[in-house]
Amino acid sequence: MKNGKILRLEYGIRSNLLSAIVVMTALVFGILLFSPNIISINQNVLIMGQTDDSTSSSFTLSNLIKQGSPYIGNLSAPITIVDFSDFQCHLCARHVKNTEPQINETYIQTGQVALVFKHLPNRGFDSMGAHIAAQCTNDQGKFWQFYKLLYENQQAIDSGWVSKDNLKKFASQISGLEKEQFNTCFDSQTHKESIDNDVKLAHSQGFFDTPSFIVVDSFDGSDPEIIRGAQPFPAFQSVIEKKLDELKK
Amino acid sequence: MISLPLSVKVVFSIPTYVLVAAAVAIPFWILFNAFDQLIFFDPIWIFYLPEDAVTGFILTTIVTILIGMLVSMNIYIIRHSKLKISRGTLFSGSSLSIISVVCSSCSSVGFLLISTFGSIGIIASNLLTIYQIPLRIISAAILFFALYYIHKRIVQSCVMDFSTNNMKTDQKYHEKSDI
Repeated sequence: MKNGKILRLEYGIRSNLLSAIVVMTALVFGILLFSPNIISINQNVLIMGQTDDSTSSSFTLSNLIKQGSPYIGNLSAPITIVDFSDFQCHLCARHVKNTEPQINETYIQTGQVALVFKHLPNRGFDSMGAHIAAQCTNDQGKFWQFYKLLYENQQAIDSGWVSKDNLKKFASQISGLEKEQFNTCFDSQTHKESIDNDVKLAHSQGFFDTPSFIVVDSFDGSDPEIIRGAQPFPAFQSVIEKKLDELKK
Repeated sequence: MISLPLSVKVVFSIPTYVLVAAAVAIPFWILFNAFDQLIFFDPIWIFYLPEDAVTGFILTTIVTILIGMLVSMNIYIIRHSKLKISRGTLFSGSSLSIISVVCSSCSSVGFLLISTFGSIGIIASNLLTIYQIPLRIISAAILFFALYYIHKRIVQSCVMDFSTNNMKTDQKYHEKSDI
């Protein structure tokens, strides 16, 4: 009788453990399969499907520039990388520190790729302010200096490092920036609407996390390739080289 | 004097337990590193370890190895004794590791937290990001505690099981060892 109880208890423990292992494994693979951050195959298919003519045209280089988005690179570059980032995201800082210089040196400086920045402030309450300030520096052609300065000085999310006062201090460190013009733009939140539009555009493309990139043909915004996360240079290289090969054909 | 490696030696001298540990640890290692954006599957499969991620990577690797060892050693205990498994410790350690790693990056999970719980989600997501390393250290500490607890169970006499089935298993094992 006692042995029977022990056997049942042992059986119970075994089956519980087995169930736990099965659940954990299913959880691991479930997350792997369905997390857009890890495997974006499903999302890519969806995004490709969603990319109709209107979406394509919104990603032409000329259109992106018309929207007031900051960019670097040759206007005749055949390929455009659209970067959706947040100044408070540490993975975006990782990208700026490690991968972007290689992309810049290999493809942007050689006139093959143009890089366009789109605002996706989603990492904290202070992010919106940082993006409004950055867009204000873009009015004076100083966006990329401000962008670099923010990522170099990045601290913990919402720790106050991008408070209004600090953003003004960062702006004052940029040589040639008209302080009064910047302050007026920043205080009146002139660019809030355009940043909201960037966020809407990002969400319409299925981008909710930062950094996210879309690589397109500059002239018609077609053939979009998605790169999610702070991927290393070889990932970008594979996409860009593939596109360049296609354009040569 | 009982030493920790003894329990490890006892369990992992049997290839099946090594396989079980690897089968548990590898998917977790992949998952954690994918959430940490060190492993990518699209557009190419690539592993990438930037300077700022080294500490996190080392802790993640320790945590996943511990999870694998713990699951395997728990199975060993179940097979060789009638003692109750320390699931509480195992799962609290594992879940802490999962939570700390999952929310450590600007991942969609962070967004889900934000979109589902609004302002509270932002705060939770940010706290988990900021305290990512301490959380992983706590996870590793809990897992080490669980490992010590299991180690004691394995090496102390209470895990001795003289039931016929297990005697046969042990005999087979010793025969193999002698060969």
